[in-house]
Amino acid sequence: MVSYLDIIRSIFAGVLVLGFLSISAMFLIWWERKVSAAVQNRYGPMRVGWHGLLQPIADAVKLLLKENICPKSADKLTWWLAPFFSVAPVIMAFICIPFGRKLIVSDLNVGIFYIIAITSVCIFGIFMAGWGSNNKYSLLSAMRQTAQIISYEVPLTISVVTVLMFARSLSMQDIVAAQSKYWFVVYPNLTIAFIIYIISATAEINRAPFDISEAESELVAGFHTEYSGMKFAMFFIGEYTNFFVISAIAATLFLGGWQGPFLPPVVWFLLKTYGIVFVLMWVRWTFPRVRIDQLMSFAWKVLTPIALINLLIAGLFLVK
Amino acid sequence: MRKYFQNIITGGISLIKGLSVTFKNIFIPRITLQYPKQKQAMTERYRGLVDLRKEKCIVCSQCVRICPTACLSLASKLTEDKKKVIESFKYQMELCCFCGLCEQVCPASAVYLNKIYEVAVYSRDDLKIDLLDPEKYAKFDSRVSK
Repeated sequence: MVSYLDIIRSIFAGVLVLGFLSISAMFLIWWERKVSAAVQNRYGPMRVGWHGLLQPIADAVKLLLKENICPKSADKLTWWLAPFFSVAPVIMAFICIPFGRKLIVSDLNVGIFYIIAITSVCIFGIFMAGWGSNNKYSLLSAMRQTAQIISYEVPLTISVVTVLMFARSLSMQDIVAAQSKYWFVVYPNLTIAFIIYIISATAEINRAPFDISEAESELVAGFHTEYSGMKFAMFFIGEYTNFFVISAIAATLFLGGWQGPFLPPVVWFLLKTYGIVFVLMWVRWTFPRVRIDQLMSFAWKVLTPIALINLLIAGLFLVK
Repeated sequence: MRKYFQNIITGGISLIKGLSVTFKNIFIPRITLQYPKQKQAMTERYRGLVDLRKEKCIVCSQCVRICPTACLSLASKLTEDKKKVIESFKYQMELCCFCGLCEQVCPASAVYLNKIYEVAVYSRDDLKIDLLDPEKYAKFDSRVSK
């Protein structure tokens, strides 16, 4: 009996997560276009629905109806599997994100570790896409992306570890509970960790100013050059869902997660998450793209040493 | 070592400056127009399509003679009291180079260039315009208002 209930619960959670995820991705795509337009004194999409709110749906329908072209010399299996590899890990990361006190699919005791581990699998999707396309631009882009993600994973993980030292737990709900008095971002150590996290997360999800692997002007969209139709849409959804996940983790680890006065927890959680999303969009539409050597030296010469020293100081502070 | 930290701090400050510029821009009014609904008024000296004030025309044919692409053609007749009146004034828009010489040369300022700028049509015949027809530019205007 219990097992049946578990199965029903899993299916329900899966449907809920997938539904939320696709709506959120569509909203983010619309919002991104609106923010970019606002920064550049334009209107952005205005025709489809109220202020263009239904524009992403129109785009999705267009992409669904498009032909799915596979290049003649592509590595077929790798090429076909790549979009799934880039979307599936991101969806799996939703398991551990706490939307509210009880609103979490599963509060694993290794929560944040699981999320960091599972989102790293996205690199496989991107590398498979670059390799399978049999296109030199795609391959170059995939190489860059892999190097970038692996480099930025180091400061990102170190900054997360700083949080874990304060929270004394890996479980996401315990981390939220540890912030019931003050948000973690108010501690000086964790403020630095927060900034490092945000910077390396931007690089992790491959957004401007760290979007060298998609650089339109030099790599013609990079690893998804050869994809069209629904496969391209999957990369797109994966990218924006990853964007949401990264912001949600930042909100949970540093801004007190779903905790907040008056409003229901879900509203607080979404407010904080979309606040960070807005900041990242604002950053994207402000700064130019960095060069690959600047990107790598920034990760290894600036972020990683500062994160390590920050971790050391946090440790000394906690030992007393 | 000092230079390293100086670099980071100046870099951070310049990034914040950049962010403040874009943040201010979010709140200033939009400079683009919702084109088919909102229209930009053309400038005073904009040269659109050739137009005619029929009552002013003295049928001197100077516009026809000066036109570098020969897109204007004019015919006149004499009335009983020996006055020249305009009979037909044809304008081939596909030939016109919108130089405005006809406007400049017209002694009675009867020929002028109007402000219409949405001039795409489906058929080449639609570009042959009879300037004496009062409804000649109605099709451009009607499409505009839709």
